[in-house]
Amino acid sequence: MTAPIALQEGPASTGRIRQWLISPIGAQLTAVVFFVTLWQLLTLIAPRVPGPVEVTQFLYTEITGGSHGGIVTGEFFEHFAITLRRFSLGLLIGFTAGLLVGVVIGLSGLARALLNDTVLVLLTMPAFVWAFLTTMWFGITWQAPVLTVAFVAFPFVAINVAQGARAITPELKHMSSAFEVGRWKQFRHLIVPAVAGYIFAGLRFAIIVGWNGILLSEWFSGQAGVGFRTRYWFDANRYRGFVGWVIVFIVFIVVLDRVVLNRFQARAFRWRDPIEVEVDLSQQEQVGA
Amino acid sequence: MHDVARVDIQRLSKIFPPPNKGGDPVTAIGDITLEVEGNVFVSIVGPSGCGKSTLLNILSGVETPTSGTVSVVEGDRPAHLGYVFQDARLLPWRTVMDNMLYVRDDGEAGVAKAARYLEMVGLDHTHDMFPGQLSGGMQQRVGIARAFSVDPDLLLMDEPFSHLDAITARSLRDHLQELWTATRKTVLFVTHDVVEAVQLSDRIIVLAPGGRIFDDIAIDLPHPRRAADPKVATLQAEILGRFEEMHPTTAPT
Repeated sequence: MTAPIALQEGPASTGRIRQWLISPIGAQLTAVVFFVTLWQLLTLIAPRVPGPVEVTQFLYTEITGGSHGGIVTGEFFEHFAITLRRFSLGLLIGFTAGLLVGVVIGLSGLARALLNDTVLVLLTMPAFVWAFLTTMWFGITWQAPVLTVAFVAFPFVAINVAQGARAITPELKHMSSAFEVGRWKQFRHLIVPAVAGYIFAGLRFAIIVGWNGILLSEWFSGQAGVGFRTRYWFDANRYRGFVGWVIVFIVFIVVLDRVVLNRFQARAFRWRDPIEVEVDLSQQEQVGA
Repeated sequence: MHDVARVDIQRLSKIFPPPNKGGDPVTAIGDITLEVEGNVFVSIVGPSGCGKSTLLNILSGVETPTSGTVSVVEGDRPAHLGYVFQDARLLPWRTVMDNMLYVRDDGEAGVAKAARYLEMVGLDHTHDMFPGQLSGGMQQRVGIARAFSVDPDLLLMDEPFSHLDAITARSLRDHLQELWTATRKTVLFVTHDVVEAVQLSDRIIVLAPGGRIFDDIAIDLPHPRRAADPKVATLQAEILGRFEEMHPTTAPT
């Protein structure tokens, strides 16, 4: 009986709810709720799939270091920190190499002829090939996952940066050489900002495929790390553990992309977005030629 | 202040290969000999396609001549050049001040100098603004301030006002005259606008199609000149008359 009264009470408040529901945040939350409900329904059809409650319980125990039963306790931060360290190092290597090779390919026709096909071949190489190859070369060591990330990330950065470097307007290059601006200064202030958009695109892909790569590599050859732990639970037939860790990777990538990269990008591109810079409009109008 | 800049062009030719198969080679510059010396403002005027920009490109070393020689010196060393292009050519991701500093390497001293030239073109308040926040005319003023701020021995300007509307171009000409009167740099100014050339220059070189010198006119009026000054207007009419003679007498080669 209370519900209809509440509804009658205010078209104003339902209007606000509706507005909230169709706002970007509302829509995102709705999507999450919808997904979790779907997941819960799926566990009714397929009982082997662990449900959201079960997985949340697992993650809680794993993160707080509680007991999973028996002698096994939660080890979240240990594995996560190891993987994050390897991932950062591999990404740094792959990104730096990709940036340098990309600029060279973009600016020199000879370098393009020499290297472009190689980069394309690397681009088509699946991550698991690198995971296997690096394990064959280095055995079960930290180098295998680090280099897997580097190899997987490199061509994505290189190909994007090369495209950006090719798009630098010749007018600005001509201006720079006319004023005898030094090479290093041109690299920092003309080439890097001009390709920044492409660098970000490359970095985004590199992060996603690199993360993929490190999970595979640790799955096959790790003795620690996120991929290793995921396999541990898989091998132990504890699917809630497997699913729990899969959720951890997804959340990590989404947060990294949305929060860190987006903020970085907004800062790098503030020149395109004059709203953020304070402009004294009255003064501008006065002298506007 | 110091030695004067000297531009020496001897029997210069530039012939481009045929643009399409079976066509004839294109003569952009045909045997030009020209000397410019001292603190003068020289305009190079001519219809489009008579090799004006090619001449500037050869002087700045972007292109090489087919034959002949050019030398641009200040005393006994190569001259230091400044440029103003048709468009402002600012780095869109750097503020106005950072654009001014991009072309020089001297830190604090550079900031003071850049600020002074920005003030001279009336852009004192724009130091921290991005080029995208300025009008086209204001951007071009930054370009002009930038060229003067590197203390060039010789300033090369390639139709710097041709992309602007008439009113903006007029106000920029006034700014340019003020800057020039204050600094007296040697300037080579390329334009297709005879009226503009008469207002600004001490000397006008008229190029004809085929890249030959058609006329070399000295303008002996005090600076700065106002566009509405009757003396300037009379001279403009006279030189426009001479310019019109060129078309019937010369067929493009």
